[in-house]
Amino acid sequence: MTDPAVIEISGLVKTFGAFRALDGLDLAVAPGEVHGFLGPNGAGKSTTIRILLGLLRKDAGTVRLLGGDPWTDAAALHRRLAYVPGDVSLWPNLSGGEIVDLLIRMRGADPRTSRRDEMVERFGLDTTKKGRAYSKGNRQKVALVAAFATDPELLLLDEPTSGLDPLMEKEFNDCVAEHTGRGSTVLLSSHILSEVERLADRVTIIREGRVVETGTLRDLRHLHRSKVVAMVSGPAPDLSPLPGVYDAAVVTGDGGTQVTCSVEPEALGEVLKALGDAGIESLTSTPPSLEELFLDAYRGEQDVPR
Amino acid sequence: MSTLTGTGLLVRLDLRRDRILAPVWIAVLLMMTIASAAATPSLYKTQAELVRAADAINSSPAIVALYGPILDPTSKGEVAMTKMTVLYALFAAVFFVVVVRRHTRVEEESGRTELVGGTAVGRDAPLAAAILSALVWAVVLAVLVALGNIASGLDSVGSIAFGLMWLGVALVAIGIGAVTAQVAASARTCASWAAAILGLLYVLRAAGDTGPTWLSWCSPFGWNTQLRAWSGPRWWLLLAYVAVAAALVAAAIVLRARRDLGSGLIAARPGPAYGSARLDGALALVVKLHATPLVLWTLALAVMGVLFGAITPTLNDFLDTVAAQQMLDKLGGALIAAILSVIAILIGYFASTVFSHASRDEAEGRAELVLATATSRTRWAGAYAALGLAGVVWLLAVTGVGLWIGYAVADGPGIGNLVVAALAWAPAVWVVAALGLLSLALRPSLAALVWVWPAIFFVFTTVAELFEAPGWLLGISPYRHVPQLPADSWSWPAELGLTAVAAVVLVAAWWRFQRRDLG
Repeated sequence: MTDPAVIEISGLVKTFGAFRALDGLDLAVAPGEVHGFLGPNGAGKSTTIRILLGLLRKDAGTVRLLGGDPWTDAAALHRRLAYVPGDVSLWPNLSGGEIVDLLIRMRGADPRTSRRDEMVERFGLDTTKKGRAYSKGNRQKVALVAAFATDPELLLLDEPTSGLDPLMEKEFNDCVAEHTGRGSTVLLSSHILSEVERLADRVTIIREGRVVETGTLRDLRHLHRSKVVAMVSGPAPDLSPLPGVYDAAVVTGDGGTQVTCSVEPEALGEVLKALGDAGIESLTSTPPSLEELFLDAYRGEQDVPR
Repeated sequence: MSTLTGTGLLVRLDLRRDRILAPVWIAVLLMMTIASAAATPSLYKTQAELVRAADAINSSPAIVALYGPILDPTSKGEVAMTKMTVLYALFAAVFFVVVVRRHTRVEEESGRTELVGGTAVGRDAPLAAAILSALVWAVVLAVLVALGNIASGLDSVGSIAFGLMWLGVALVAIGIGAVTAQVAASARTCASWAAAILGLLYVLRAAGDTGPTWLSWCSPFGWNTQLRAWSGPRWWLLLAYVAVAAALVAAAIVLRARRDLGSGLIAARPGPAYGSARLDGALALVVKLHATPLVLWTLALAVMGVLFGAITPTLNDFLDTVAAQQMLDKLGGALIAAILSVIAILIGYFASTVFSHASRDEAEGRAELVLATATSRTRWAGAYAALGLAGVVWLLAVTGVGLWIGYAVADGPGIGNLVVAALAWAPAVWVVAALGLLSLALRPSLAALVWVWPAIFFVFTTVAELFEAPGWLLGISPYRHVPQLPADSWSWPAELGLTAVAAVVLVAAWWRFQRRDLG
């Protein structure tokens, strides 16, 4: 990374009373990337984003946003970003159109010269409804239209598609792609792994206020075991003693002998050699999905007795 | 499954959710009642003094308009309950409307009714539970008020009649709340309509008590006086409250079946597809959100001002000598001052509504939406503070102009500048409003104090005066330091002092708000 980071967080701590919501969190987001920010409920994703927005005050650590301090330079920095919260609350007696235009104007842009109408069209938003009459998905659309209508340097999206139907999710994915195409940076917090997998260049997985994993999807896969399933013609080799092989199992049935195991990338060569000696009839090796990385990251901690 | 299944469970839920609001509200009303009842013997030591006090009340149309007349000047109970019979009955009525609305339309808009409706709960259960839980509080209030009056040495039969009369007002208020909750397009309009109806009924009674009596008979608040709780009660009049309440509740039940969850019988109109170019920042937003309430407040206060202004000089009819005329000038001034003192505290609640809107914006995430734009905290909070503080000045000025017009139309003698007299209250109202802002700035969980501060100082002043508390204790209330124009003269030290206190509290609030977590 030669460019200065858009978001640079290190050792961030935030406590609410006795509860440590963030406990030494590190996060770096480079310009132009879509950074997936993953974690279970209560992991500290929203807290992190709210600190980046200057809504919450950090207790320790350093936070830089677009080269500034998100707490002291909040208003100036917010001209350069757009934020979509996970649970959008609207003014009950203002229409959706009024709210969209207000939010755009408050970021210092002019809705008349923005892509506002195009976005309203694409997301199929009825802008004449009053805030109180919108469903959750439609409230989300109001915030998304306001965010995507202009060209902010940074999009902070906190579970932005919760409540959207699949068609709208596709529209959302296209919008994110278009924005990064124009050079925007995106921090996308989500539960929906397939969405992050499709959009994100790099991901950070957090849990209990700490980073569990961070890197490109390729990096993370590299660190994890592939699942190998093979049918062999000869006697099944005993894979369990090999270093880096886990959960080896053999099932003998009508079709032949099936060998399954989880393999660390370094041990793949040894495993293939052993299987080859037994005569491979078919072989599948599946790289872990983000889903599995996600579960791994959590399981890892729960397995350790505390 | 009947449409009422689950009502019992919901009644318990509603009662539990009101476990702080209701006891506090009831306690305040009860305290005021007992304080008034207990103070009476020391205020009027002889029967002659009592009659003289009652006559003084009856001879002042302004006081009659505010509190209702004393039908039996020899009745200790009736004189003791002057303020409670009508004015505090109004405060009680407001509470019951709040409770019903809170458990019906507010719940629907928050989506919680949907959550409940998905369980084994009948369609009509939420409305029935809201009415029943309000009824429970009404009975508690009535019993406590009756017992409190008996304990304070008032006539037992009268005390019971008085308690039942408050119960009657509560029933009607519950009915009004239930009907407006079905008709209004949103929880917000439901609140304004219910408030407008209560206000109208109150003004109707005020007009009847000072003019044609039949008007008083058109308002449940008028029945409060006409029930004659303290001397030969007209028990049959209690049936009138019950009949009206039953009709209202029945109407609400019928209307309930004709509307969808979350929407009133009157459909919400669609809004504009585009925002106005003038709606471009925090201040414009806050002004827009409060435009309708501000207009309603302005109209209500203008009408009230003209009404009270016009009533004051009619004292002329009673006194006709030069000496009396001079006395009247002073008395008229004192009356205007007394009216202003009540209206000013009421106006303080405009600021409370504005600030409580800010706290709801914060709690529900709309503040987050605004503060994630180029709007700074100072700008956002400042917009609310500015509207609240400037709004009360505007409303005081409107009241002053109204009083002056009414007074001039009724040919009152020279009385001084009533607009200045009204504006003299601004610094004291600012202090109370600033305390509300400071509470919000300290912690979001203290938001309810925004409503409590004006009441605390009002109750404190009233109770402390009744018990003849020492001056330094009375001095805690900012209202106490306001020069009673037009009876007294303008006082720069008091006005500047109060303004300075307000400024200090505001700066403290700003300082704190810059530093705290949001949401």
